[in-house]
Amino acid sequence: MTALTAVASYLPAGRVPIEELAGRLGLSDRQVRVFRRFHGLSEVCRDHDGTLFDLLAAAVGELDELRGREHLVKYVLYARGMPVAVPYPANPLHELCRKLGLAHAVAFTVTHHACATGLLAVDIAGRLLASDGVPGALALVIAGEKTFTRDAELVPDTSIFGEGAAACLVSADGASDRLLSYVTRLRGDFDGRLVEDPGLAVRFAKEYPGSLAEVILAAVQRAGLALDEISLIVPHNVNAVSWRRLCRMIGYPVDRVLLDNVAVTGHCFAADAFLNYRLAADRGLLNPGDRYLMVAAGLGATFSAMVFEH
Amino acid sequence: MGQTTEVDLRQQIVDSIGELLPRVLKREVPELPESTRLFDELGLSSASTLELLLELEEALDLQIDVEEIDQGDLESVGTLADFVAAHSLTQD
Repeated sequence: MTALTAVASYLPAGRVPIEELAGRLGLSDRQVRVFRRFHGLSEVCRDHDGTLFDLLAAAVGELDELRGREHLVKYVLYARGMPVAVPYPANPLHELCRKLGLAHAVAFTVTHHACATGLLAVDIAGRLLASDGVPGALALVIAGEKTFTRDAELVPDTSIFGEGAAACLVSADGASDRLLSYVTRLRGDFDGRLVEDPGLAVRFAKEYPGSLAEVILAAVQRAGLALDEISLIVPHNVNAVSWRRLCRMIGYPVDRVLLDNVAVTGHCFAADAFLNYRLAADRGLLNPGDRYLMVAAGLGATFSAMVFEH
Repeated sequence: MGQTTEVDLRQQIVDSIGELLPRVLKREVPELPESTRLFDELGLSSASTLELLLELEEALDLQIDVEEIDQGDLESVGTLADFVAAHSLTQD
């Protein structure tokens, strides 16, 4: 059974209040106030001088559990929300593998689930390791992106992106945290750019809560659990208001959704769930035996939920 | 606001919606019957509805509990006023 063996996060020290981004993003004063008042956004992480390599290397640098076990890493998966990150032939993933002593590993990028790709990468990593059947083998999953274009800075009326990164070790048969279920739904009918297609934006906003609720409830059921047995939701950081509405819809207490990073980091692409896992673990919110959900959604659209046992 | 009755508050909300809509929609809006449909007739969206609620909060010194809002509350000027009146804390 796939297990999330270790999770590390890196948040750059740079913090930018959303008001400072308004001019460049073309946001009116009222739109900024809506982001702050209703969406719960306040500032976002930005590492102005750092490259994508720096960001990812810093996250892996926090992963103490990797030290001395590099030879066990068979796969390195970069989970990315945006399909393009750097100009050809630059490849920070392979550069990272060389620098970390992981050049022997099979390294590749996973995308196309947009910001839900982090969960997809954990699932793929676990299944690859299971099919190999090599005892003790590990996969390294990394996530985190630069806010290098307007599309990588803003989801209109929804969220503002930040530059946090995460690194995780995955095993095929570890004791903790065991992956009990994974449900993902691809909704190709939401393909398109929200900024160019107001009709799509209206449809997506209307169907988003129900679509995410569906995968959450299906994942809980597939894990053989009831929703009230889920001790915590480790969410994406898109915004707070959508989580409050969703919680109301499914009857789950919103104070058990760890939303504190929303105001600190902004939405860090495919890394959110891992950043929030680290926050939960550091705060002692995960006790042995606790079952919790990791939940993510990606534009285009993908809705994903995983149930783990700590 | 302590002496304001619920009926007064609701009427204030209806009046304020009429005053604030041109600002949110950035165009002239004729006098509105309460039955005016927000999305179909006025062209409001989920995003511009939040902007309208923000302006209402500031104009009337309210705090609106937006997560309780349903699609039905967004039908018309009247249903939105009902919702705001029922889901607001006044700031004294």
